[in-house]
Amino acid sequence: MNFKNYWLIIFCISNVLFAQKNNLESYVIPENLLENANSIILSQDIQISVKSQKSFTIKKNKKVKVFNQYGLKNIDALEYYDKSIKVNSIKAVLYDGNGLKIKKYDKQDFTDASIANGFSVFTDNRIIYLNFTPIDYPFIIEFESYIDNDNTAFIPSWLPLDDYYESVLNSNFSITYPAELGFRFKEDNFNGYSISSNKTEFSSHYNAQNLAAIKKEEYSPSFIKLVPIVLVAFEKFQLEGVDGSASTWQEFGSWINQKLLFKTDDISDETKKRIIDLVGSETNPINKAKIIYNYVQNKVRYVSIKMGIGGWKPMNASDVDRLGYGDCKALSNYTKSLLNAVDVPSYYTIIYGDSTKKDIDQDFVSMQGNHAILTIPFQGNLYPLECTSQSAPFGFAGDFTDDRMALVIKPDGGEIIKTTNYNEKLSKQSENGNYDINEDGSIKGTLKIISTGVQYNDKYFLESAIPTKIVEYYKLFFSEINNLKIENTTFENDKNSFQFIENITLTATNYCSFSGNLIIFPINAYNRCSSIPQRYRNRINQFEQQRGFYDEDEIEINLPIGYTLDGKPEDNDIKNIFGEFKTSIEIISPSKLKYKRSFFMKKGNFDKSEYDNFRKFMEQVAKADNSKVIITKKI
Amino acid sequence: MKKLLFITFLLVNLSYSQINHKLGKVSIEELKQSTHPEDTTASAAILFKTGVTKFNYFGNKWEILTTVNYKIKIYKKEGLKFADFSIPYYTTAGANESVRFSDAYTYNLVDDKVVKTKLKSESEFKTELSENWMERKISFPNVKEGSIIEFSYDFKSPYITTFNDFRFQSSIPTDYVEYTSYIPAYFVYRTYITGYENIDVNNEEINRIDYNENKVTYTKYNLPAIVEENYVDNINNYTSILKFELASIQYPSQDVENYSLNWEGVTKKIYENENFGNELNKKGYYNDDLDVLLKNTLTDDEKIDLILNFVKSKVKWDKKNGILCKNGVKKAYKDGIGNVAEINLMLVSMLRYANFDANPILVSTRDNGISIYPSRTAFNYVICGVEINKKMFLLDATDKNTLKNIIPERAINWVGRSIKNDGTSFEIKLAQNQVSNNSFNAMINVLNNGTIEGKVREQFSNYNAYNFRNKYGEIAKDSYVENLEKRRNNIEISDLEINNKNELINPIIQNYNFKIENGAEIIGDKLVFSPLFFYASKENPFKQEKRKFPIDFVYPFQDKYIININIPEGYEVESLPTQTSLTTVDDIVKLKYLINSSNNKIQLQYNLDINQSIISFDYYENIKSIFKEMVLKENEKIVLKKI
Repeated sequence: MNFKNYWLIIFCISNVLFAQKNNLESYVIPENLLENANSIILSQDIQISVKSQKSFTIKKNKKVKVFNQYGLKNIDALEYYDKSIKVNSIKAVLYDGNGLKIKKYDKQDFTDASIANGFSVFTDNRIIYLNFTPIDYPFIIEFESYIDNDNTAFIPSWLPLDDYYESVLNSNFSITYPAELGFRFKEDNFNGYSISSNKTEFSSHYNAQNLAAIKKEEYSPSFIKLVPIVLVAFEKFQLEGVDGSASTWQEFGSWINQKLLFKTDDISDETKKRIIDLVGSETNPINKAKIIYNYVQNKVRYVSIKMGIGGWKPMNASDVDRLGYGDCKALSNYTKSLLNAVDVPSYYTIIYGDSTKKDIDQDFVSMQGNHAILTIPFQGNLYPLECTSQSAPFGFAGDFTDDRMALVIKPDGGEIIKTTNYNEKLSKQSENGNYDINEDGSIKGTLKIISTGVQYNDKYFLESAIPTKIVEYYKLFFSEINNLKIENTTFENDKNSFQFIENITLTATNYCSFSGNLIIFPINAYNRCSSIPQRYRNRINQFEQQRGFYDEDEIEINLPIGYTLDGKPEDNDIKNIFGEFKTSIEIISPSKLKYKRSFFMKKGNFDKSEYDNFRKFMEQVAKADNSKVIITKKI
Repeated sequence: MKKLLFITFLLVNLSYSQINHKLGKVSIEELKQSTHPEDTTASAAILFKTGVTKFNYFGNKWEILTTVNYKIKIYKKEGLKFADFSIPYYTTAGANESVRFSDAYTYNLVDDKVVKTKLKSESEFKTELSENWMERKISFPNVKEGSIIEFSYDFKSPYITTFNDFRFQSSIPTDYVEYTSYIPAYFVYRTYITGYENIDVNNEEINRIDYNENKVTYTKYNLPAIVEENYVDNINNYTSILKFELASIQYPSQDVENYSLNWEGVTKKIYENENFGNELNKKGYYNDDLDVLLKNTLTDDEKIDLILNFVKSKVKWDKKNGILCKNGVKKAYKDGIGNVAEINLMLVSMLRYANFDANPILVSTRDNGISIYPSRTAFNYVICGVEINKKMFLLDATDKNTLKNIIPERAINWVGRSIKNDGTSFEIKLAQNQVSNNSFNAMINVLNNGTIEGKVREQFSNYNAYNFRNKYGEIAKDSYVENLEKRRNNIEISDLEINNKNELINPIIQNYNFKIENGAEIIGDKLVFSPLFFYASKENPFKQEKRKFPIDFVYPFQDKYIININIPEGYEVESLPTQTSLTTVDDIVKLKYLINSSNNKIQLQYNLDINQSIISFDYYENIKSIFKEMVLKENEKIVLKKI
């Protein structure tokens, strides 16, 4: 008899015994699932049962084994709820690492709280969660819940791996539904995972096994692009009591128009008149829009409001007009109503707002996005308006909404568009200036910085910042200059061409270091890139450079009287798939040097095998940016 | 003449305050003002904040009613957040606090006219934060740069023992603040004001038909904004805040009921609480287990360590502070989980059972701030003190890496109060005296292509070891190496070995080999590098010109570097950094930098000593300049030259 089989029989017997004692069966965890894992999902079952367009239930059972404190957050023993979501039952059982039962938690042992987590958030969303302190690691927790949900517009996706550093032994997802609701699904990133599925007219079932934990690595694409996912939705759905039906973006947009936006643009005749007066004789639609956008920016502020359908439907424009605040939907819709009053068409636009780019998935018609902006069509261009910002220039999409797919709601329905991409050469920063080296090691310099594109986005706040914030900003920007003192700054913000100009005068003591009768100082005073990507002995994920940029510097350096150059670093000229980096030092006269630098970083996605080269590149840049010049007193 | 001036000043002042410190009087000038006259960096300012507290008797219960009026000016967009205001309050069956907003308006200047907008109920929100905590929020309409907002709120509370603080100072400037308390003579409250501002206080007695009242008025003009800095224990300790503490109650023809007049009384009251004293004196639930543990002959030190470790392994902390037990020590022992009182009272009890002179020590955590005066609510945490041979050791079993006199940072906060078996108590210093060492030894070879490689031995003792264990103790080795490489400025590490990760009484020892490809810079025919390489600090943590708060390093420490460098053949030392030795008055902070070379070897010895955990702000400028020199010194270069 084979030893392995023998062992299996004993295992089965003992398993039965354990089960009788109310303990968990044992799980055999393959070695590779323990690597990088702070926790492991031993088994997870999610059963979604859609009864009708108006309601569905979710039944969950999840057993997680937690190895250490970092895995504690993955017990996920919680549910969110509001007026449309009812938590029928929620409970948990704690076992020790071997599956021996320790304790049961019923609903009354869970903590119930509002998710209002700070100022300016009004919400009726709540959370019920298990506030649990482990006595010992490892432990196993079994979580069970049963939820009634009325919002069939949002059916939870299946994400068997839902966090870094967590493996999955076994995960099941099943959904049953009436065929007439029009079930739709989208599978992504299944490659390399063992996932099986079984679909009928009324149901879909997925099973995934042995998914190894994913390590978090720098420059990784967002988590969601790395893991298997199944998106599900229905053509016929309901949202907070409002029925909907859509199989194309066009239809989906029409639904938003008819059910969510309808009659929310109710500004009074008085306001209308005020707006018409404000615009006066201006006839160019873009100029009109600029006047109105400026008016809105000075009138309203952002306050997050998430109550019932208000989480999806904008508050009425008349209310925003009266109160002077609203959330992104309300402010976008309000601006749209004002533009309507002077016959400038604009589109309510749904998007994922985040500095990490995320697209509305255009292949999958469903409720998506977490943010609303406004877009104005004019002569073939789409001008984005960020209505929650009091300082963003007209038509500028900052890094919160740039370069991604968005859903615009036109009068005749929805359409997917791509927002502005400020590609590498458009996101430019050019520095022109000089600095004097003094014999005591201090420097004094003047600098002009011109920024465009996403680099403009990083700077324009300076125009309206309070002086302490400005100084704080420059201490970070010139972080390599110790004892920095900003003597003077002036700014020019060209909101039409999205160009920001800074004129800076600065001084710093002890910029140079001394060694004997030598003075040593870093040649690149104003624009050093010193962060080197993390070294990984075994890089696992692909990597990406989300946004590119282009920097150009030309700086004159004046040496103190009586000193001459003793040594200078080599020039650099590096070109590769990631970008280009060049530096040079020119001796203009015995006491004057000219330092030139250009750094072009491309946007792109790269295979993990290129990571070491990328790291090397950044290391070369950091080294060059840190390189020093030695001067010595003439004898 | 002088007198006359004084009188007119007073008169002006009075009328000024009467006109300007009432709601509903917003002038065009105020709305036009674009920056704060005293603090041009302010994004908003409190033009005034006035509060009145009165006691009312209803049926058979007292109720405290506090009415506060606010007038706030918004100067910059960053200040718009002050147009949203919220107040949390406590509710429980039969004893609810309540909050009611009123007279809330936004004022704007439109075409040189003052336009006011009322805040309606639609802009008022109620949120249930948790089972007993509610919150009311208001969000002002039509607020923009330049706006002024005004509002009033009533806060009602049945809790006469926990009187709410009144904050005079804020994160934005306050032009005028006034607070008046009318307290029935039955109640005696001890009051005190934290911070560095001199608040004017005026006492008055008011005779009423039913009972007499003490009226106290606090006023102050022009309070600056309070700003956070590095190495501050808790900014609230230095903010101007009025605090109340119920000292006694005496109803007509009844005895005085004392609450807390001195620390002794405060402590006694806590000791007499059944969730403290009774729990502390419970025995029996652990006897059998402990007997087994202590059956071998051990030294006192060993016994204490054994008992401390036993409690740590037996009961885990539920992260809740408090001086009272919640479910009791027995249940905590049985379930393996408890709050800080349950854990540390159990520890005291076990040590007493083993015949040690152990006592609970009441502590206020850093988050909770410091109570300078006796206060019933001063303490929120309890640790254990044990005395052997007249030497006191502090113990805390809430964290698995603690040791004798190595307690979590949260509990190291000025002084605590130790309670003896008979209920009497004495003050005890929590500040730590023993020095925690970081020592760094490196043997480094500089190669002629600029590469640097070497061997490092690092040793961390006491708190440095404790912090190391808490931070990195559970991280997998691979991730730790990556983390260390990043912290050591991207060096490449091999053969890493960490000793004593779990042997708590020994220092952590970390050995590794490293390599940096461009560690030394080649400039012409020279090789340039800092002898501290990846250990050099980048910036001075002390940035403010002046400082009013003590500098809190938590514990005294020494950073000690011994670095031996071999220079490549064909090179000679052209120049070395200069030797330096700096120290504050009284040797509180010391910096020593010694470097010399012979043949093709360079040796650096570099020490930074912080000899005191909390240092008075009188030393600030001195310390700031030493740290400035430290950063410079650590970045100074050695230059080698080709022979």
